[in-house]
Amino acid sequence: MVAQPVVPASGWSGFRAFSGNDADAGAVATDLSNILDTVEVPIVVLQRDFTIAGFNKATADEFGLSPSDIGRASRDISRLADLPSLEEQCSGVIASGVEARTDFRDGDRWFVVRISPCANGESQVSGTVLTFTNVTAFRASIDQVIYERECTKAILNAVPDPLVVLSADQRIQSGNRAFYSMFYELASLRTRLKGMLAGGSAFDPVEVDQVVPGEGRRRLILHAHPLALPEHPERRVLVTFEDITAGKQAEAANDLRAIAERKDGLRRSEAFLAEAQRLSLTGSFSWRVSTDEITWSDQLYRIFEFDPGMPVTLELIGTRVHPEDMRLLRDRLERARHTGTDFEHEHRLQMPDRSIKYLHMVAHGTRDEDGRLEYIGAVQDVTARRLSEQALGKAQSELAHVARVSALSTLTASIAHEVNQPLSGIITNASTCLRMLAADPPDLDGARETARRAIRDGNRASEVIARVRTLFTKKELATESVDLNGATREVTALLLGELQRNRVVLQLELAQDLPPVTGDRIQLQQVILNLVRNASDAMAAVDDRPRQLLIRTEDENGDGVRVSVRDAGVGVDPQDMTKLLDAFYTTKSDGMGIGLSVSRSIVERHHGRLWAEPNDGPGATFVFSIPVGQGP
Amino acid sequence: MTEDHGEAFLIPKTSLVSVVDDDESIREALPDLLRQFGFAAEAFASAEAFLASEFVSETSCLLLDVAMPGMSGPDLQQELNRRRQKIPIVFITAYGDASVLRRLLARGAVRCLVKPFSDAALLDAVGAALT
Repeated sequence: MVAQPVVPASGWSGFRAFSGNDADAGAVATDLSNILDTVEVPIVVLQRDFTIAGFNKATADEFGLSPSDIGRASRDISRLADLPSLEEQCSGVIASGVEARTDFRDGDRWFVVRISPCANGESQVSGTVLTFTNVTAFRASIDQVIYERECTKAILNAVPDPLVVLSADQRIQSGNRAFYSMFYELASLRTRLKGMLAGGSAFDPVEVDQVVPGEGRRRLILHAHPLALPEHPERRVLVTFEDITAGKQAEAANDLRAIAERKDGLRRSEAFLAEAQRLSLTGSFSWRVSTDEITWSDQLYRIFEFDPGMPVTLELIGTRVHPEDMRLLRDRLERARHTGTDFEHEHRLQMPDRSIKYLHMVAHGTRDEDGRLEYIGAVQDVTARRLSEQALGKAQSELAHVARVSALSTLTASIAHEVNQPLSGIITNASTCLRMLAADPPDLDGARETARRAIRDGNRASEVIARVRTLFTKKELATESVDLNGATREVTALLLGELQRNRVVLQLELAQDLPPVTGDRIQLQQVILNLVRNASDAMAAVDDRPRQLLIRTEDENGDGVRVSVRDAGVGVDPQDMTKLLDAFYTTKSDGMGIGLSVSRSIVERHHGRLWAEPNDGPGATFVFSIPVGQGP
Repeated sequence: MTEDHGEAFLIPKTSLVSVVDDDESIREALPDLLRQFGFAAEAFASAEAFLASEFVSETSCLLLDVAMPGMSGPDLQQELNRRRQKIPIVFITAYGDASVLRRLLARGAVRCLVKPFSDAALLDAVGAALT
């Protein structure tokens, strides 16, 4: 309300008072009347008795007043009758001389009615002037604003997180329901906001803990949003609080779950590892070299047969290590201690029950950030493997022995044949000799002749024996340097008689300066013997050409030595070439053909090769080659 | 051994014993001993040589080596069977392989003598072949 007396600018008021007076007054009245009629605001002048003294054109237009309404009481004008307590208000204004205002609704329209005192020339209040300002549009916009504000308020109140708008001096301007219900203590917030409001700098979200009555500790993120209202000098800040307590709790729960899962996973991998170690008989260890701290996996305790958890020291390990392996292991560990390099080591354990275990250790050296050396390693119990390897080795050597024995038995058969022939001659001749001497008269010439033959056969037998002795002297069935030229000569000397009887023409082409090979001399001679025998047999049916047998030794450019036995026999069908080398395959009826397979296996044991090739002419050539300097 | 050996005298002196062996000393020694026993004897270096000779049908007993270049002893045995020449055969061999000997006996050999053999064993075998 404006508490200010209204003093009319001029002496006129009430149109009727001036009408009909002098010409000047009439002109003024006309002018005034014209002015008032141009004003779009309805203006009504009331007498002290609330009768209508006059009104302008806008009043006629807006409220339908007609000139006949002048002099009528305002309450009798239907359109003005709705003005509540008009007469009282007018009386008040007249009494006080102070303007009053009131709202007035006319249908859909709203007016603010200003009731001003109307004074006559003697400053006496003669009545009131009513002006009707149409505020319909304004009221509608105000209603809209109020409605929008209510909506916004409802929305903000529905937000579970607190919101508050602060003034520059951090007084609360407004807050939502959540804010008030949480009742935050704002001391710390004020400090933070001060800087921002002073400098207008960005306000990074701040995470704070806040104890909320009835809810306990909450975790909140404060966001501050400066509110910039255009052409509004006041600066305010909207502060929002994001309650992340639940999120934090969920996160914490998730973390816990993740940790639990990780632990679970770890437990599973540990169990898996333990099982794997148990199954693979592999234990793991770590060895801090500087302190000699040793940690063992359970499996390693089982391997060493110590109680789990027993403190492991190098001394304790030493009590299990096989005495013969102790020095090597100690040396190995000392070397590791100084070099820090990865290593592998095999050693044995001697258990309290005197049983032996074979261990294979692999260790990887690492250094921590301080450069301290630590070995991480695995120890596998390879006892079963070692034992089976030993068994295998034994089986192999037995097999080799069998092979040697079978090779020997072949050789023996050949020797027996060579010796039995002259023995047979000796016995037969001696028998004949005796009979000739016992005859009447004794056949002395015949006896002499048969005795001579017996001596000759005896010499022949002794030669065979001598050759066999050469073949076997100093012959451990081990590897030695073998001169294949010499070996070939010995074999051919042994077979000479047989070859001659078979009318085989033997030719030797032995390379000069043949490098020695490493191997089993007897076995290699067995091979040569077999090949020569086979060659001889292959030519048994040959009568239309010389039964030529060529044995040749060659140097394979220093890499190996090649021995070839070439016959002029029936030859070998190329399809049978490979079959020939198969065990038990023989083209001979008496079954005495030496298995070429035996020969091949001997050659292969010497890392060599045995093969057959057809000749340009008749017959075949069997060849074997032995690499130089490679033992079986 | 002497002429006292009983059974030998029951055998006609004219019986021809042929020796087939690639070993020369056998070919020299055996016929002389056989003649001491009172048999006629001929020696051949190979089975082929024997078959080619005129003595095949006259031979009453064949002392036959097993392993020989060319036609072996068993080969000759088979050939004689094919020719229906029923000559009793005594194999003589330097290889004492029992399975080979069994096989030869199974094929109809009278005896198998493993070198070296005694004069008694020889006479016994030849005697068995001739009876």
